[in-house]
Amino acid sequence: MHQRFQDYLLPSGSKPRLVATLTQCGWRLLEDPPGLAAVRLLDSFDWGAYLAGAIVEERLEAGKRRLLWHDLSGGEPTLEQLIFDAPGLARDLAPGPVQGRILAAIGVRRLLPAVEMEVETQVLRLLDDEEKTLVRLVIEEYRLSGKEPRRGLASRLSVNPLKGYEVEAQAVADWLSHGFALEPALRPLLAEALTLGERPPGGYSSKLAYRLDPAERADEALRQILLGLLDTIEANIPGARENLDSEFLHDLRVATRRTRAALAQIPGVLPPQVETEFRARFAWLQQVTGPVRDLDVYLLDFDAYQASLPQSMRGDLEPLRFYLLSHYADEHRLLVEALNSATMDHLVHHWRQVLTEPTPAEMAPANADRPIKALADERVWRMVRRVRKEGRAITVESPAADMHELRKSCKKLRYLMEFFQNLYLGQAIGGAIKLLKVLLDNLGTFQDLAVQAGHLQDMAARMQAQGLTGTPALLAMGALVADLLRRQETAREAFADTFRGFDSDRGRGLFRGLFHAGPGGADPGAEPGSDPQPDPGHGS
Amino acid sequence: MNIVGVYSIKGGVGKTATAVNLAYLAAEGGSRTLLWDLDPQAAATFYLRVKPKVKGGGKSLAHGRTDLDGLVKATDFDGLDLLPGDFSLRNMDLMLEDAKRPTKQLLRLLRPLADAYDTVFLDCPPSISLLSENVFRAADLLLVPTVPTTLSERTLDQLTGFLADHVRVSGIEVLPFFSMVNSGLPLQVGLMERVAARYPGMLRTAIPLTADVESMGIHRLPLQVYAPGCPAAHAYRALWAEVQERG
Repeated sequence: MHQRFQDYLLPSGSKPRLVATLTQCGWRLLEDPPGLAAVRLLDSFDWGAYLAGAIVEERLEAGKRRLLWHDLSGGEPTLEQLIFDAPGLARDLAPGPVQGRILAAIGVRRLLPAVEMEVETQVLRLLDDEEKTLVRLVIEEYRLSGKEPRRGLASRLSVNPLKGYEVEAQAVADWLSHGFALEPALRPLLAEALTLGERPPGGYSSKLAYRLDPAERADEALRQILLGLLDTIEANIPGARENLDSEFLHDLRVATRRTRAALAQIPGVLPPQVETEFRARFAWLQQVTGPVRDLDVYLLDFDAYQASLPQSMRGDLEPLRFYLLSHYADEHRLLVEALNSATMDHLVHHWRQVLTEPTPAEMAPANADRPIKALADERVWRMVRRVRKEGRAITVESPAADMHELRKSCKKLRYLMEFFQNLYLGQAIGGAIKLLKVLLDNLGTFQDLAVQAGHLQDMAARMQAQGLTGTPALLAMGALVADLLRRQETAREAFADTFRGFDSDRGRGLFRGLFHAGPGGADPGAEPGSDPQPDPGHGS
Repeated sequence: MNIVGVYSIKGGVGKTATAVNLAYLAAEGGSRTLLWDLDPQAAATFYLRVKPKVKGGGKSLAHGRTDLDGLVKATDFDGLDLLPGDFSLRNMDLMLEDAKRPTKQLLRLLRPLADAYDTVFLDCPPSISLLSENVFRAADLLLVPTVPTTLSERTLDQLTGFLADHVRVSGIEVLPFFSMVNSGLPLQVGLMERVAARYPGMLRTAIPLTADVESMGIHRLPLQVYAPGCPAAHAYRALWAEVQERG
């Protein structure tokens, strides 16, 4: 890729006048035969590269396929590498400068086409008296592929300086600006092209960012929250169905879990029969999407599993990978059947209908017309108290089930805080979420390692019963289980300190100030256990 | 950065054609390539249509006062840059003699370019001199075009003898190959068999003597650009593949 001085917008049909004027000015000109390139701008479904400030371009030209990383700020030179197949998952790309950036930006996700274009390139070479090229002027015409009529972007002219001939390139650039009065292109063409795709750049994120009005009726706010989650579920169905990458199903499941949490933790806003019915229907969705997600987790972690074993045992784990992969197709087929089922179709359509049609006033439950801020304070504070109570009750002798219950409460608290985040001071609620996240990470590690160790033991038994494994694989799986359980013990040992951090004076003050300040404002020093205010949600 | 010297004590053996064509093929293969024209005749510079001019002249180069990067000129081919030669290089030996560490100047000058280029070709002037010693110290590989004649065989012996006697340069890999071969001459065929037997490490590819190669001076382009299908172009491609294998 050549360095560029400046891109100009080239008005349609002005190339002959440009050539004639350059010739009149005494330049020797050589026009290379025009070239045609097929260009695809790629990014993950959640726009990892774009959010990292870059555009990924796949360019198929003269039989070569190149992958380019364009820094949108223009501060960094474009990186490129040759590739031999259409790119897909970041981890499957051949190592190279672009692959490194892509992997860092999109992780486990797949590169998907955002825009497809045809580019016709014409190079005008400005020569000296030895017929050596001093400056290259590159004219590019872009046509978006796909739906008719083909949409175009204004043609661009760029001055590509050659090393050792920068003075000449600058002179030509100055002449184009002042002598030929070309308008500079202020926006990189690829950034402009990206906006013409069917998906708006940065238009999907699984992160919650609701704009709720504190005085808004609770039922309207909850509908907004639940519709956002439904959008996320629907957006991820095609990718999960096609198994484009594991994050589609993951995001779908997280949105489902959040929906269930919202229905359970913000009660009395929707009619009770709606709450009951849809909690059950979303529990079904959570359940049918579980087996493939479990396999995804094992397969994504597989390299790390191997790396945790002594070098000599790593290869012995391969029968497990084979076992996981051999079950994947069957489980995915069942997942697709579920996603394509009438049950799913009804769930999605019926749910949207419920959320978009107003509840008749006479059927509105008690909390429906309360201001959302008051309800949010109440529900979050209730969950803060529950987390504290459960956490404080955990001792070194407590069973793992107690840790699991605490984790579930922490997750509910986190979802509630994220739903209502914009109702509170950004820095304060950000700090509270961070504090909770540290605790959740510890509990998550403890729980996930225990579940994985248990599943691996079950799988080892099944593999042995089916004659799918020999002694070396069983020993390797045993070593892996031992390692997981050791790490789980470490997480268990770290729990007391981690919880103390959450339940510290600072933590208590932070949560009280946010969710239980009352009309008099925050009281960071007060002890929640001695709270004189009755907790309306407690025990419900 | 891999440094390839194209060298022969004898002149007129196809050094510059080899340097230009192999440098072009290296760049075409995706290697960021620099060709340094060290010959005061500046034939490689001429072939690539660059004006022969070294800012500050050979003296600045010899004394390490010049920043090589500032002298580099892009050629008309992607990935191939040139350090032009000029007539001021003719007294390079005398100038090097005055410099500190006179046999390591070339290597010292090239070091700052290590991140910018994957492959550097040195197109060397004929003769054996202080400049040649610099090339032997700097290069990882030395390609030695050898015309199947008795005199060429003799200069190859002289070169290998010199390298064997000079411990400091004995690590360099010397890869002779036959150049300007006229397969119609029985005398050449016999001589080639004898030389190949004496130098078992010799590259297998031989470059034929053809009008296509000779016309590089008219086209002022690498052979691959104006006659990619000719036998000599195929031979250079095979030679580059073999060098990469051996390197």
